[in-house]
Amino acid sequence: MIEVQALSKRYGAKTAVDAVSFTVQPGKVTGFLGPNGAGKSTTMRMIVGLDSPSAGRVTVNGKPYAQHRAPLREVGALLDAKAVHTKRTAYNHLRAMAATHGIPDSRVKDVIELTGLGPVAKKRVGGFSLGMGQRLGIAAALLGDPHTVILDEPVNGLDPEGVQWVRHLAKGLASEGRTVFLSSHLMSEMALTADHLVVIGRGRIIADAPIQSIIDGQGKARVRVRADRPQDLLGSLAGDGVSSQLLEPELMEITGVDARRVAEVALREQVLVYELTPLHVSLEDAYMQLTQTEVEYHSSTPLAGEPVAAPEGR
Amino acid sequence: MATSTQNAPAQQRPRQNRDDGTGLNFGRVLRSEWIKVTTVPSTVILLACTVVVMVGLAALFAWAMATSAEAIAGSEVPAEFQAPTEGPNSIAGQALTTPSAGLLFGQLLIASLAVVLIASEWATGMIRSTMVAVPKRIPALVAKTVIVALIAFVVGLASALVSYLVAQPILRGQDLDFALTQDGVLASVINTGTFLALVAVISISLGTLLRNTAGGVVTAVGVFFVLPLIVQLISGLADWIPKAARFLPGDAGTQLVMVTTVDGDLTQWEGGLVMTAWALGLLVVALVVTKKRDV
Repeated sequence: MIEVQALSKRYGAKTAVDAVSFTVQPGKVTGFLGPNGAGKSTTMRMIVGLDSPSAGRVTVNGKPYAQHRAPLREVGALLDAKAVHTKRTAYNHLRAMAATHGIPDSRVKDVIELTGLGPVAKKRVGGFSLGMGQRLGIAAALLGDPHTVILDEPVNGLDPEGVQWVRHLAKGLASEGRTVFLSSHLMSEMALTADHLVVIGRGRIIADAPIQSIIDGQGKARVRVRADRPQDLLGSLAGDGVSSQLLEPELMEITGVDARRVAEVALREQVLVYELTPLHVSLEDAYMQLTQTEVEYHSSTPLAGEPVAAPEGR
Repeated sequence: MATSTQNAPAQQRPRQNRDDGTGLNFGRVLRSEWIKVTTVPSTVILLACTVVVMVGLAALFAWAMATSAEAIAGSEVPAEFQAPTEGPNSIAGQALTTPSAGLLFGQLLIASLAVVLIASEWATGMIRSTMVAVPKRIPALVAKTVIVALIAFVVGLASALVSYLVAQPILRGQDLDFALTQDGVLASVINTGTFLALVAVISISLGTLLRNTAGGVVTAVGVFFVLPLIVQLISGLADWIPKAARFLPGDAGTQLVMVTTVDGDLTQWEGGLVMTAWALGLLVVALVVTKKRDV
């Protein structure tokens, strides 16, 4: 379990993380979403003590990370696939990391197998592809068989097989009761992997909820309807939270009701409906809506030198 | 897609008894740093260069001593103009310093190695892995310093011993050869290692503070090589300059390997203590800064 309490990080005048509080629960995959420069990596770095907070505190399994007797047993972190000496082999890198905790070489071999690094384990890391670097980072994170796994952009640079592998891995770790906290810029990937989402924008938490409720809450059900008497249909559907947009004389989009309800009302009102299409709201749409407001809210205050908050898409 | 990695999570061991004795302690961090130091190619290359350079220079020095002794013996210079035949400035006296003759360049190689070993962690990003594994940070840095200083000591000692052995046949022709048991010789050989160990500690501290390989190497070379040269050039300007210069880390440390010291200079002990003070002072600054700065 990771508990973040009013955590802030300031670099001079710029506030990278602004009093964020959230809890990452064990037993599920928690996704950490946010545009570039939103403070995701900084927050993750503060969790493992690489950056010291300007204010607030963060604990892992009840204690600040550095105060654990065996930190690598508590938290395995992939923060940066490049956190490796390029002239050292993957095997020696993992052996050196394992040695700090007295983790046996057999475990080093296990994680090499687990991450599919076997064929390149004795090669120098400098020649690794981005995907191999990611696998090595994940191998290092799993060395201590940790309670909590933190992965910053784990699928970055992975091929489709690797992406699927990370998804299975994250879900598998969570199903064993571990705390899994991962960030990704692939919203669709998040939808497939995460059970819970923490959305951050401009250093502030925008949303912290189960993934389904974020999708439901942000994008209400929407249907596209072609009907011969749109006004009659709309009149009968009118109610709380229902809005509509007439696109063509007989084509409209109705928000706030599902397709079945439209069909029921149409049947009762004897309106001819010749198209009825539920429009899916993807997590990506929901995410864009969430961060859009955050971006708009902030762009009214001119802050020179701030990175433009665009959805991550490297 | 039924690849081997696909089923990976299922192979994860269930979390049962986790108190299996794993955990951080200083001995383990030392072992980790030993693995790190010995698994990068720069260590082997620079250490081999250090031995070759130090032994080679010592052999050249011995040859130069033997040649001058021969020239003097063959000339008919009046006694009052002849070089002294005894004491530290005599050829026989100078020949005693043969084991540490290559130190001037050996120190630069060791300084470079020490800077490279720590600064490359920042350059490659490795430092983040190190600091995540050892989040209290200071044990990791102290362990690396201990390992590198130890390696520098052993290499210095070995180079001096080999230099001694290589030089004896060259010196023997002019009866300049000497025994390790002669006054101050063994101490000088051992302190060649001590000096290089202190050079390593200072260089690691500089590399830690600068977090940059090139900057660290340039600064270390500046401290041990350029600074004494500059001081020599300007030492005529004021009386206090040469007096103060005795306390520079390089100058003070050089006294360590002297077989005999001149009145007015620091003794071997004093020189060693002054250089140790520099090394520990810089190390403490490096530790405090590393503890506080973000990685």
